[in-house]
Parts: sequence; structure tokens; C-alpha cells
Amino acid sequence: MASMGRFLLKRALQGLVVIWGVVTVVFLLRYVTPGSPVDFIAPLDASQATRQRIANNLGLNRPLYLQYVEYVVDLFSGDMGYSYRSRTPVRPRVFAKLPATLELALSATVVAVMLSIPLGVVSATRRHSPADYGATLFSLLGISTPNFWLGVMLVIVFAVQFDVFPTSTRPVGLVQTIGNLVVIAGPEQGYALPLNVSGFLSDLRTWLLYITLPAITLGTYFTALITRLTRSGMLDQLGQGYVRAARAKGIPETLVRYRHALRNTLIPVITVVGLQLGTLIGGAVITEAVFDWPGLGSLVIDAIGNRDWPLIQGCLVVIGAGFVLVNIVVDALYATLNPQVMD
Amino acid sequence: MSDDSEDPSTGTDAPSRTPEGNRRDLLRVRDLSTRFFTEQGQVNAVESVSFDVREGEILGIVGESGSGKSVTALSLVDLVESPGRVTGGELWYRDAGLAEEYPDAADTVDGELVDLRKLPSRVRRALRGPSFSMIFQDPMSSFNPSLTVGEQIAEAVEVQRRARSNPRSTRSRTQGYGLGSYLVDGIVPGRDYTDPESHEQAVDLLEQVGIPDPEARADEYPHEFSGGMLQRAMIAQALAGEPDLLIADEPTTALDVTIQAQILELLREIQAERDMSILLITHDLGVIARMSDRVCVMYAGEVVERGTLADIFEESVHPYTEGLVGSIPDLENPAPRLQPIEGNVPSLLDHEMDDRCYFADRCPKAMEACLEKPAEREATGAAHSAKCVLTDRAYSEATALPDRYFEREGGEGRE
Amino acid sequence: MPFDPLELLSNFIAALRSSVSPRTVRNLRREFDRSVLAKLGLVLVAFVVVLAVFAPLIAPWNPMGQDLDSKQQPPLGFSRAETQTGQEMVNDSLVITNETVFVNATTAHPLGTDGLGRDMLSRVIYGARTSLLVGLLGTLLAMALGVPTGLVSGYYSGRVDDVLMRIADVSLAFPSLVLAIALVGLWGEAGVTVPDPFVVTGLAPAIRSALSLPGGLSYPTGMPEQFTLPGTVIVVVGLVNWVWFARVARGEALSVREEEYVTAAESIGAPDRFIIRKHVLPNSVTPILVLATIQVAAIILLESALSFLGFSGTTLSWGFDIAQGRQYQTTSWWIAAMPGIAIVVTVIGINLIGDWLRDALDPDIEGEGGGV
Repeated sequence: MASMGRFLLKRALQGLVVIWGVVTVVFLLRYVTPGSPVDFIAPLDASQATRQRIANNLGLNRPLYLQYVEYVVDLFSGDMGYSYRSRTPVRPRVFAKLPATLELALSATVVAVMLSIPLGVVSATRRHSPADYGATLFSLLGISTPNFWLGVMLVIVFAVQFDVFPTSTRPVGLVQTIGNLVVIAGPEQGYALPLNVSGFLSDLRTWLLYITLPAITLGTYFTALITRLTRSGMLDQLGQGYVRAARAKGIPETLVRYRHALRNTLIPVITVVGLQLGTLIGGAVITEAVFDWPGLGSLVIDAIGNRDWPLIQGCLVVIGAGFVLVNIVVDALYATLNPQVMD
Repeated sequence: MSDDSEDPSTGTDAPSRTPEGNRRDLLRVRDLSTRFFTEQGQVNAVESVSFDVREGEILGIVGESGSGKSVTALSLVDLVESPGRVTGGELWYRDAGLAEEYPDAADTVDGELVDLRKLPSRVRRALRGPSFSMIFQDPMSSFNPSLTVGEQIAEAVEVQRRARSNPRSTRSRTQGYGLGSYLVDGIVPGRDYTDPESHEQAVDLLEQVGIPDPEARADEYPHEFSGGMLQRAMIAQALAGEPDLLIADEPTTALDVTIQAQILELLREIQAERDMSILLITHDLGVIARMSDRVCVMYAGEVVERGTLADIFEESVHPYTEGLVGSIPDLENPAPRLQPIEGNVPSLLDHEMDDRCYFADRCPKAMEACLEKPAEREATGAAHSAKCVLTDRAYSEATALPDRYFEREGGEGRE
Repeated sequence: MPFDPLELLSNFIAALRSSVSPRTVRNLRREFDRSVLAKLGLVLVAFVVVLAVFAPLIAPWNPMGQDLDSKQQPPLGFSRAETQTGQEMVNDSLVITNETVFVNATTAHPLGTDGLGRDMLSRVIYGARTSLLVGLLGTLLAMALGVPTGLVSGYYSGRVDDVLMRIADVSLAFPSLVLAIALVGLWGEAGVTVPDPFVVTGLAPAIRSALSLPGGLSYPTGMPEQFTLPGTVIVVVGLVNWVWFARVARGEALSVREEEYVTAAESIGAPDRFIIRKHVLPNSVTPILVLATIQVAAIILLESALSFLGFSGTTLSWGFDIAQGRQYQTTSWWIAAMPGIAIVVTVIGINLIGDWLRDALDPDIEGEGGGV
């Protein structure tokens, strides 16, 4: 599909422009906020000269545009600078925390999509049935409940009261879990390593145990939202002329629902989901705070508290870039369902 | 309620336009009633309507909006949606195979006819495509905007193919099309519900309806077609199952006049080629005149007059028909003013309808006898009948109803 | 901006009034009669509004009054188990005893108390003020920024529109919560203290001592004299959400611009400002209004999230209490539960009203915008 390729290219270029905008805003953020990083680094009784020296070391006294250019150039060559606080490079720290956030966001999204679309369809096709009322009630509650509160309540009920799930952290990552199964070997070992199946299973169990509550917390809002949208979208589509025409040509009802009505329902649903991805990331930040989940969210909050600018900027840029990337994927998905948009 | 023995149009001796002499009935509709149960009350959209469609003929149904003609069509193919329902009547359809399989639904007189309403609903629905198909007024809203036209026509072909190879199983049609496969199809491009063979047939159909460059056009989306082209495509789609009866609901209303003529010509050609029957529904008398062999005139959910083209246009009895025909400007005798029909279409709400001739409040020839519901009687020959007292008596001033007779509080025609 | 904000505000109000045609009112009323949920929404929101406005009169205690003797009291119907460690001299050696004591609920604190002995019911009632004020003011700010920008952008199109839309894209590239955290965290949590009209005028103490409150206990009449508005938070949430309004306003302007009556107005020489004011604005009111209800709900959730994380200018906030409750999650679940229930009830009410407006006025409106 040549037009899809062209479309993706166009969106990618637009995305780059947006990322550049994000980078610029992140850079400028430093200059609209009071307080200087020097305050955090220098000892309280430091003399003016000491402060100046520190400022010079950090490169804070050079003209604005020079700092900006240097910042952008560094960024595009992969250098995110050094944390003010720990003096360690920012990039490895940011990327080390990324998988945890990704795991959380992906699990929540997968669960949300898998639950909500069937729920929405059933709700629309069996109006006024108990399933419909249940789904409607659930989705209303879901979009009205603050997710951090849901997290705290889940912890209180399931972790404290019933002791089914743990309360926090993440001892094992998904990559590490799967790593048990991956055969990596060099020539010396004869290209084979025994699969550590028991290790995999135990790691998997641990991972699932620790990610369940956070994923539910993060995923509830999205599930509720998508259910609501799918339901109203389906109701809308089922009243359209082409549905009647499809029935008239003998298409069985299941096909009418899924191949025709649902397909057209998903189009606006995907649009809104795309717009709400920011919500997902924001929600991830909160969920990480509630569950002490060691991801980008926790990192950026700590960094803000410490006025650790390079770290703050690094996190924000990665979050922004990731967001743009996901939006491009969503747009591509949208384009497959609604090719008109590619003209 | 029309009396069967007095209904002249069921006779098999009536001549038709097609040169082949006697034609059998393909579809006999008897006392069809469809009602809508709404928040405002019960709406009697179709009331005891009867008519026949012969094999190979074009039957026209003409009426204003609100006359019940579209709902009648939808009732034939079980497409009436809640809060509406077909509440009574019989739909006798000629299918020897079905009659054999469902003897309880078969007619005792003519063994090949089955009452569709007595069949299980899935069997009835399975008739959509191979027996009945329908085209609608606005082609743009009758196609799924996110699928190519070729894809949708191929879908119609595919459904028929699967049905034919496994006639009584509805499962085969949906095989491979649950939510799971839908998701997979979305991710894996190239896997489709339809076979390449169905696609080829779709292109073939497009060609048959006169669409140039059918291969390329099959890959285009509905919004890339013009109105006329899309209507042709819809006709192509309707022919996929090789139906016996094509129901055309206002097929040309949304089109430009020149395109209208083309589409009507196309319908004629197809009808002649395949010896198919067409039930043509429209409010446009010009279309009726051009296309139909026989005509039914509908008003307020009833058939008020029926007959051949000549009967309706030249010897109409019912004042409503007269009014319709009279409101067409006549080139040969240009009158200084056109003669519209006074008043408005009545409300079809059950509690607002009186038990009398529904046209009486607008009728220039209303008489005392019209305060009772008239039966349908023969007018000028076996094939021509009307639901009006004027069939067997002339209009007389003596018993005429005064002009403002129906205007009282809560009177009709106020909508 | 080529517009004077005050003039635009009065125009907006005039537009509101003109778009509330008899037909609109009829649609609203019909939908309201039809829908149980719309009625429920109105009841819930009215309830919360009353709580917020008349807080000093309704709340039984001073929400900031600490009473360390009654800390962590459970709500009515529950009791809390506490292990008290005591030391005793038995036979010349120190023995440490553990005794499980049950702390019971009292009618004095029907919803229990928090870790410092403050009454939960009063805190929840006062918290309504924070949430509603931030929600309303934040939405107004976002509207004031977004609607004119969007209208101008959509009406004039061209370069201005392109630039504005790029800025909007970049704005939306930042998840609103992360941006809000960044801004509040970096700008500081400035609170604006506003004197409480009921207390300062002496109305509150008078009414409270006149009423006999249930339980026969004497409640303190000293309610807080001032109320803190989290100023930074309001500004930040407004800044973070203006884009939604801009987009909707722009969309409306774009479509209205194509209408024939606009072309007609242009052809008789009407100036652009006039056209925007008299034609574009009134027709855009409906979707903007529906969006506004969604935004209020979203901002309330956003504010509570910010307070939860510690980025707020006031401690009388539902989110703050939930954070507090988290620290006591093993012993006193009500500290987190009560404010949360309040949030859910409030947001449900607002969402139901939003649904009512949408169903009555324009079922075609693009769904949900904003959110945490």
C-alpha cells in the first residue's frame, strides 16, 4: 500500500517537528521557573564566588541560544547530559526505568481493549438487558473514579485485608522473565543453553502477582471509556442506512455487527483513544506513585522535587517522544479503517 | 379487510405487458399489517394491504410520504425494525422446494406457494439474496463508507455462494467470522472474508450494470463514486444472488433527472434479460408511467386503487388517484392553475384514526356513505378495483358532506 | 489577541442567552423528563454544591482542628483494633504487655477521624469547596484562553491557524498530568487566602449556636475564618486544558464559516469581529458547553491527583486526604475511602449532567476530552 507508506512518512515528519517543539519547551521550562539548580547543589553558606563557579561548571552562564543549540545537538546525538544531583549520565537512567513503565502501560492497555470492546458490543446489541445495565454502570463508575484512589482501595482490600496481592514494587521485569526462555549461546557452548523453564514460571508468577493491581488500577479508566464509546458508537452505526442495506443483501447478523458496524464504530473510538493516551501516561505516573513501581513516573517526580534539570528534561523528552510515536501508530491504525483520511 | 373472492387482481387471466401471455403469481400479499408501537402510541403504518406480483412483471406502488409504501416493502423482507412489527397477514411466495420442506406453511390450493410468515425466521432471512433483494433511495448511505465497493459486492456474492453450497446451514455463512477472526484479519492484511472468485464475480456484475472500467472502480470507496454510478453499483449488488424479486424503494429520487432515466433504463434491461420481477416503489407518477405494468396506489397505509397503467391514468375512480394524476402538468391541455389535493396526510396513530374512509377529509367528493369504511370493489374491469364508494355509484350532491365537516377539535390532518 | 477579554466574556454570555432558544429549553426539559440518570446527576451535583457553599454551616467540626485524643477513630458501624503496648514492673523485672484494644466509633465523628484527630466528615465537606472551585475556575480559565484562540484560528485559517495548531499539537504531546506536576512543582504551590464570608460576617457562629445539633453534644463554633484557594493549581490546570476548547471552537468556526449566512453577512460588508461575535459564537455554544462539563469533571480529577502527589496549595483537599490515608492504609482505611467516595459521587454527578446536555442538545458531539 504505497499510500500508507507515504502517509506514514508524512506523519513521521510531522512527528519530528512536534518532538522538536517538545524539546524546545522542555528546555525553556527551566527559564520560566524560579530558583536555580545552583541552589540545590551549592552548600547553604556558599559564597557568591563559589556559586558563580558552580554555575560556570554547569554551563549556566552562557548565552541562552548557545545553551539551546548545544542542548539540541547533544540530544540528537544521544547525549542527555548529567544529573545535577548524582553526576551520573541521564540517558542510561531514563532508559533503565523505561521498561517498567512500558510494561505497566501495555498491560493496562491490552486488558482494557480486550475487555471493553466485547463489553461495548454486547451492551449495544442487547439493550436494556442486565448485561447492558451492568456495563453502563461499570463504565460510569470507571470514568468517575480517580485511579490513585482505586489503587489505594485495591491495596487496602486485596493486599492488606485479604493478603492476596502484594502492596508494592516490582521485583522482576517481563524481559527478565522471558529471558529465562531465550536461548542465547555462543560458539563455545555449542549454540545451546538449557531453557530455564522453572525459573521462567516462577518469575512469571512473581511478575503477574506484582503487576495485577497496578494494571487494574491504570486500566480501569480506559476500559470504562472505551466501553462507553463502543456502546454509543455501535448504537449509532446500527441505525445507519448501510446496516439495513447489508441485512437486505442477506448478510448474517454476526457479520453485520462485526464486519460493518463495529468497524465503523472503532474509527471514532480510536480517535478518542489517541487523544486520551496522555491520560494513560499521566495515569501511569500516579499508579507508579501508589505502588512504588520503579518507572519513569517515579523518576520524573523525584527529579522535579530535586530540581534536577537534566534528569527532568531527559524524562520529559522521552515521554514526549514516546507519546508522539504511539500517536503515529494510532493514526496508522485509524488509516487502515478509514482510508479517506489519507487523501 | 378486503374480501378475497371480490379481489379481481388475483386472477391469473389478467393480461400483462410482457408478451408471454399468462403469468403466474410470484408473490401474493394478503392483508399485510405492520404496526409501530411508539412512545406516542400505536402507528398503523400498513393496514390490511393485499397485492400480487407476477413473474416477470414490474408492479408499481405509488403514494406520498406517509402512505406506508416503504414500510410495506420492508415488511416483505423482514427488515422492519423495532418498535415496528408485522402484525398480521400472509405472504405467499412461489417456491416448490420450500413448500415441500415445510408442508405446514404451504398453500392447500396451489401447492407451490408457501406463507413466509409461517416459516422459521432464519429460513425467511435466508431468502434475502436468492429470492428477494432490495435497493434503496440513497446509495451513498446504503454502502459502508469504510469498505471498497468491490468488497461489498463480493460480500453479497460470497454470502450467496456459501448459502448455495450449504443451503440450510446459516453457520457456513458466518464461518470464520467471529470476533477473533475479525481481529486477526485486521492485523494480517490480505486475509479476507471473501474469495478472489467472489471478487471476480463482483467485477463482472459491475460491468453488467454498465460501469466503465469495472476492475479499477471495484477498488474504490463509495465516496469516490457519483450518485448515479453508486446506484448502479447497488443494483449490481442486489443482483448478486440472482433474485426472483427486486424491490426498488425510490431508486431514482435522489438522482439528477438525466441519471434517473439511465437508471430506469438499466432496470428495464435487467428485468427483461433475467425475466425478474420488480416491485417499484415511488412517489413519482412519471416513473410509474414509464416502468410499470400494473400499479397500486397507496394512501394512509392502505391500497386505495389498483389496476393497469391505463386504468390508473385514464380511468381512475378514487378521488385521490384522480388528484395525483391531475396534479401533473399536462402539455396538451395546459390549465391556468394546477389542481393540488387539499389538506395534509393524516396521522397514522391508532387512537387518532376514525373508522371511515381515510381520505374523506380531503376528498372533494365525500358523501355520507364515506363515513363507513368502504370495501374494495371492482371498478372498470376485472383488473381494476378501488376502495371507494364511487365504484358502484356516482357522486351526488344530495348526500355530499359539508365542506367543514371534519374540522373539529382534535380533527385529522393537522400534522 | 485582537479581542478584549471582558468584551468577549459579555459576548459569550449574550451568546449563551441567545442560544438558549425555546427549542433548546424544550429539548433539555424533554430529555430531563425522560432520563432518570439526568435527574440523578442534577441531584448529586446540587448536593455537592450546597455542601461546598454552606460548608461552615453544615460541617460539624472545624476541619483543621486537631484532637490527638481522638485520632484514627473509625466511622459509624466499624471499630478499629489497636495493640497497646504497656510496660509493667512484675517481680522487679520489666514486662512488656501487648493488649488489643478496640477503638469504637462515636456519633461525634460519624465518618471517623484522621491521623491527627480531625473530623473526616468536616474535611470531606470542606474538600468539596476546593474541588468545585478549582474545577469551575480552572475550566473558566481554559475556556477564556481556548475559545477566542480557537475561534480566531478557525475563522481566519491560513498561517495563523497552522501555527496555532502546531502549538496545540505540542501541548497535547505532554500528558496533562505530567505537565501539571512539572509546572506546579517548579512554580511553587502558591495559595490565595480568601476570607470566608459566612464566618467573617458572624453568620456562621450565630446560626450554629442557634441550631441544636444531633447527639446533644456541644460542637465547637469556631470555623476557619479564611479559605485557601490553590492559586497555582488553578492557573496550571487552566493552562494545561485550554487546548481542548481551542480545538472545539476552531472546529465550529471552520464549519460555521462555510455557512451561507456568513457569506451573506460578509457580502454586505459586516466586519469580521462582528461576524464572529454574532454568528460564529452563538452557534458554537452548544459543543463548548458540553465540553465544559466534561472538563470540570476532568479538572476535579486532575486537582485531586495533584494534591495526592503533594502538589497543591492547600491541605483541605480530597486528594491530600487520600494520600494521608495511604499512610494509614493498614489501620484506618476510612481516611482514604471517604474523600474518594466523595470524588466519585461528584464526578458521576457531573458526568451524568454532561450526558444529559449532550443527549438533549446534540448527540453528534465528538466524545470525551481531557481527563486524568
